[in-house]
Amino acid sequence: MKKLFCQPLSFLACLIFLAFGLLSCGTEGKKSKSNEEQQIVESVKVDEKFMDEFNKSKLIFYSLPSPLETAMLIKRAGANYNEALLNPLESLNRYTTNRQMALNLGVYSADLSYTSLFDQTQSSIKYMGNAKKLAASLGVIDAIEESTIRRLEENMNNRDVVLDIVSETFMNSNAYLTENNRPEIAVTVLVGGWIEGLYLATKLTNGSMENNKRLIERIIYQKLSLYTVINLLEEYKGNEDADYLLVKMNELKVIFDQVKIVNTSKVEAHTDAEKHLTTIKADSDTYMSKDVFEKLLEKVEEIRMEFVS
Amino acid sequence: MLQYQRFLLVSLFVLVTNVFLSDGQCISFAKNVCKSELGKFVHDGNYNATILSEGETAEVYKTFFDGQAYRIAVCKVEGLPRILFKVIDSEGEVLFDNSEHDYTTTWDFGVETTQLLTIQLNVLEKDEESLEKEAGCVAILFGIRAESENRKRR
Repeated sequence: MKKLFCQPLSFLACLIFLAFGLLSCGTEGKKSKSNEEQQIVESVKVDEKFMDEFNKSKLIFYSLPSPLETAMLIKRAGANYNEALLNPLESLNRYTTNRQMALNLGVYSADLSYTSLFDQTQSSIKYMGNAKKLAASLGVIDAIEESTIRRLEENMNNRDVVLDIVSETFMNSNAYLTENNRPEIAVTVLVGGWIEGLYLATKLTNGSMENNKRLIERIIYQKLSLYTVINLLEEYKGNEDADYLLVKMNELKVIFDQVKIVNTSKVEAHTDAEKHLTTIKADSDTYMSKDVFEKLLEKVEEIRMEFVS
Repeated sequence: MLQYQRFLLVSLFVLVTNVFLSDGQCISFAKNVCKSELGKFVHDGNYNATILSEGETAEVYKTFFDGQAYRIAVCKVEGLPRILFKVIDSEGEVLFDNSEHDYTTTWDFGVETTQLLTIQLNVLEKDEESLEKEAGCVAILFGIRAESENRKRR
């Protein structure tokens, strides 16, 4: 051992060699089949179609509307800013379990996106502070650094920079959790953010289907996002948090099932190669009764209150 | 001497740990390489990246909302062959195929009616017969045109 310490350079070289050697055996980098494996493949007759399907197995991602996208949808629908709807900053101390912290990291990220879109920079800084604390409590390293908050303060009047910061902090938490074998927690954050966005949208209707029809339409189309949420959670069935969220989302589905979205024409695409742009067109009809609308408002509020309590 | 040895041991530990931690991690790639492909579109904040090898396929399900302008950026590490990406509707109809546009890695989309669409990615194979397959990070990021950009375009 003493000899080893006395020859640090040789030791270093060995470790580097060992590390890279092991790395090349992992899943990253070149995937090569060993001679032994090759012999097995060559000597055993296998169902070629099955092997082909197996080798080309699909990986599926469900991309939910992020808190930032939802806030953009709300803003573009002409809705107003209402600070009273946000999850109070002082609720932070209530969140002690991983599930509560993850859900409310999503909730505060949605509130942060909403305040940023409406240029409420002082509130944005405070909500980012809360998101930072929850991310740190979940063990997410460097999701939101002090320098990020300083950058936010320095660019208070530049919405594009503010939105870029909000987007990056959300991605940092999401990526860190996903890549550090905690995808269930990452999904919980996403669901928390999605429910908060839906809560803000439904509350901003002020209980009326007539005041802002654009916003109502946005809410109706969240039925499509709900399918994505459920599919995403199904991937983690058996995990306590995912099972809890599945129950909640299926309660919401019972109501959304009564909302009708029907494409009345074939989906068509028109591509303008010069502009690098494809426009997708289809006619569709939507319908939601007043009764269903009211049930939806009630259910969304119930779930959101459970998340933030 | 003892301090020097300790320093070396800590340095080695950090080096080896980093080498292993980098295995399977595509966040830096997505942030530092792929995000810039979105140009002036604001990244929506979602992280869709993984390691794919030649011949592998991934699908991304996403709702595209009417009135929003989207940019899709599909990125891969240098060693990988080109990536075929298609946008497909719920009936399985192909609405966009990048092989018809020189395997472009970015494209803009607008939808006139909100639609749940699938983006299918396929890492092409350099040589189908070869047993050696390259693998590496592939990311797909969605950008949304910011309101200020919308205003400028009007």
